[in-house]
Amino acid sequence: MTGIILALLLVPLFSALLVFSIPNTRKELFRPIGIVFSLITFTQSMYILFSDYSKSDFQILFRFEWIQVYGLEINLGISGMSTLLLLLSSLLVLLSLLSIGKDHSESKGFIGSILTLHFAINGVFISGDLISLFIFFEALLIPMYFLMGIWGGDNRRYATIKFILYTVFGSIFIFIGTVYTAVISYGVNARLAVDFETLSNLQISASQSKTLFLLFTFGFLIKVPIFPLHTWLPDAHVEAPTAGSILLAGILLKVGAYGILRVSIPFFTEGFLEYKNLVAVLSVIGIIYGAIVAIAQIDIKKLIAYSSISHMGYVMLGISAGEFLSIEGAIIQMINHGITAGALFMLVGFIYERRHTRNISSFGGVKISMPRYAAIFLFTSFASIGLPGLNGFVGEFMILMGSYSSYKVLTSIAAFGVVLAAIYMLWTYQRVFTGPLSNEENKNLQDLNLRETVSIFPLVLLMLFIGIYPSYIESFVIQEAGNLSETISLFRSTK
Amino acid sequence: MTGISDILGFNFVVIGPTLTLLATALILLFVTITISTPTFVKKYVTLFGILSTVFAVFLKFGLFLSDGVSSYFSEKILLDEFALVGNVLVVLVLLFNFNSFWNTSSQIDNKTTEALILILMSASGFLLMVDSENFIMLFIGLEIGSISLYALAGLNRGDQLSNEASLKYFLLGSLASCILIYGIALVYVSLSISGVYETSIAISFIGPENVPLTSLIGLIFIIVGLLFKVAAAPFQAWAPDVYQGSPTGYVGYMASVAKVSSFIVLARLSAVSLTFIIEKFNLFFTAVIILSVLLGALFATNQSDLKRLIAYSGVIQSGFILSGISFGVYGISASIFYLTTYIIQLIGIFTIFSIISGQLSSNFAISNLSGLFKENKFLTITFSIFMLGIAGLPLTSGFVSKFILITNLWSYEKYLLVTVLMLSTVAGFYFYLKPIWVAAVEKTDNTIEKIKIQNSDKLLITTLAFLTIYLGLLPNTLVNISRWMVENYL
Repeated sequence: MTGIILALLLVPLFSALLVFSIPNTRKELFRPIGIVFSLITFTQSMYILFSDYSKSDFQILFRFEWIQVYGLEINLGISGMSTLLLLLSSLLVLLSLLSIGKDHSESKGFIGSILTLHFAINGVFISGDLISLFIFFEALLIPMYFLMGIWGGDNRRYATIKFILYTVFGSIFIFIGTVYTAVISYGVNARLAVDFETLSNLQISASQSKTLFLLFTFGFLIKVPIFPLHTWLPDAHVEAPTAGSILLAGILLKVGAYGILRVSIPFFTEGFLEYKNLVAVLSVIGIIYGAIVAIAQIDIKKLIAYSSISHMGYVMLGISAGEFLSIEGAIIQMINHGITAGALFMLVGFIYERRHTRNISSFGGVKISMPRYAAIFLFTSFASIGLPGLNGFVGEFMILMGSYSSYKVLTSIAAFGVVLAAIYMLWTYQRVFTGPLSNEENKNLQDLNLRETVSIFPLVLLMLFIGIYPSYIESFVIQEAGNLSETISLFRSTK
Repeated sequence: MTGISDILGFNFVVIGPTLTLLATALILLFVTITISTPTFVKKYVTLFGILSTVFAVFLKFGLFLSDGVSSYFSEKILLDEFALVGNVLVVLVLLFNFNSFWNTSSQIDNKTTEALILILMSASGFLLMVDSENFIMLFIGLEIGSISLYALAGLNRGDQLSNEASLKYFLLGSLASCILIYGIALVYVSLSISGVYETSIAISFIGPENVPLTSLIGLIFIIVGLLFKVAAAPFQAWAPDVYQGSPTGYVGYMASVAKVSSFIVLARLSAVSLTFIIEKFNLFFTAVIILSVLLGALFATNQSDLKRLIAYSGVIQSGFILSGISFGVYGISASIFYLTTYIIQLIGIFTIFSIISGQLSSNFAISNLSGLFKENKFLTITFSIFMLGIAGLPLTSGFVSKFILITNLWSYEKYLLVTVLMLSTVAGFYFYLKPIWVAAVEKTDNTIEKIKIQNSDKLLITTLAFLTIYLGLLPNTLVNISRWMVENYL
């Protein structure tokens, strides 16, 4: 198993280096190499999914002494939640490589950056201590910087720098938190041990716990993003190229919530109990605010970006409620949002490649010229709204149900987010796809070709699969969600 | 049989590196004034001299292993861990910069030999400085080193900026030397001593609380004289102008050699001389660190000249390194790690600058980088690695050095310093990414002139970039070395 874990890091890194080392004269090779190697990573993740580790709590499988005199180690491991997220990330990398159009698929830097991003993402999800988590968390920025900066839209400079500065500002708090934890751990263990096993046994005082929770959670919440720290997200999404958007919405946003579930709550539970109400209020504001602002958007991509804020609000609401059902729902919602938002951004990318605009007003009646595309878009919209039988429903329902016992009013307000989601998604569908073909340019639009259909199809299938058989995906997170909620209720009872 | 020379501690191995460099300089001088020598002879004589210096440093290691920490030449020259690491770093700086200063010197008509001699002399001075036990030796070493640097800054006589840089460096540098020697005098007047170890013995003898104010002021003056050389705020005013005006091929050497030797001496002062009274200097050091970091970050954000940007970034880095030196023995070891990684990145950056803009140029606007990616991918990628390394991004050595430094500060509960240093890191991402944006990301129709890279330059840059990444991934060895340095001073 250790070999598989290491390969999750090394295979993407090797493939990125391979792509970078191929001369530009063999342009056609870049995409096949990327696809083959991300297929290998995908197979590895599948292997983990069917192993014993996929249903367990976090287990460290690989240790490496990094700086001896400080006792710093690099730990890698795996858990049920990590397995699901690894699977999601390798699937989305694979599909986004498949979906990109000709202008990006023959660019060495683009494919290479996506593979480097894959390396960093895998690193985040398998890191077993705070140092390696921070290293990979920051390493995400480099490929994103180039993806957005070189292949982004017109206003990319502003959006890229905003994205980088927001994230770095947040990660400074994570960094200080890591240092603080390490120094506390030094007092007990006589070395700077920050691996998750040591931390779970580390006794820290209530005030330390509160400070550390704030430090870590603030950094992670910027990445989620939660209202009012969300303003980088719409800009980043609008300016990023399609593949960048897919990975940003599909995986990078999950990194924040993952960090909170992996670090903030289990190790700094007292701090969590102190500040969870604040997080819950902010996430409900985010749900409603994101949805209302989404209604007002004229750019489809920006609309989906705001809908992401709304959907990630549900995740944070579920996490902050701290009940078994709500945490389970939050993890499942993370996966579901990765699938649906990834699919939506991919779909927007398809039409943008054809028309080079994303303005809702310049479309209308597209259903007539692109029937297959319209059907898939409608299906994905329903999944995003949370129609029972599709994946969106599962997570949101579990979150709302789990949170109700803790936050009756807030949960009731949050439930309106679903209604608002129906308004912005269906209204968009109505304006873009139905009605007469008023715009001349829309008449000759090609429907999805085979490559595009193949790249969207697995996501559609997953939406349906999770929607009708959610207990399969649930089985991977029961153990972790159970442990988390037990820890929380233990601290709550001692309080 | 013990002769008088043994009693006085004559041992030429200890000053071997200094002597070797001096000998090389003299040979170069004599050869060039007596017979007309082709340039390649000069090149190989210089290279041979530097390599012999490396060998001489090895001999010093042998002496250290047999004798341990000991002083020579009637307690003027000291052989300890700081001296050894200082020697290694100065020689490495010399070696890494050989390519760029050779290329620069060979372009200056009629002054090639002068330039080489100046560089060798300055290195020998700085070697003497890191070896010195006596404050007067420290001053002599510093002056030999710095005066050569002043001349080096103005070597390109045709360029007004170069002249300006030289004059500014000279005037402000002399002022700093005055302060340094005044400080030495004050310490001597109040304690009747002028040595590194003597100071610590005298202070422990009279008791830390009875140290006279004059000697405290004297020690602060000595520190200020050294802080000037590392361009820590508020003594940073010369740095941007000197970096900008001096021939680009020399700046990498000028910046790194002065920083290395001054920081080594500061580290020794902090570990040995001030060890009983370091708390009295905390406020002073804290003020200098905060000022350096804030001023540096503030001015670096709106520089349009890259050399000035790197100069202000150097001010920030000085603040970082100082934050380790002034807080504890482990902090000193973290600082040495930081210093080494920073020097590697700095030399890499200036080597790249001198390749792009030509060795003799003075100004180097950020817009000069535009279109670099199309012209030369190798330089763009390595340049980005160095910049990200200075910014402190994980996977590079900059992150590891910042991490161990901040951990040390946090264990001393210096939360204000940690906050300020971290804020400057966030600001750093703004201005370190800007040149990368111009070089690699921005779409432009600009084409810059065809860049020719020599293979030796390519090898050097690859090595430095590799070290930056390697020390970020596997820093264990260098951390152990820096920890070994301070083990005796715990």
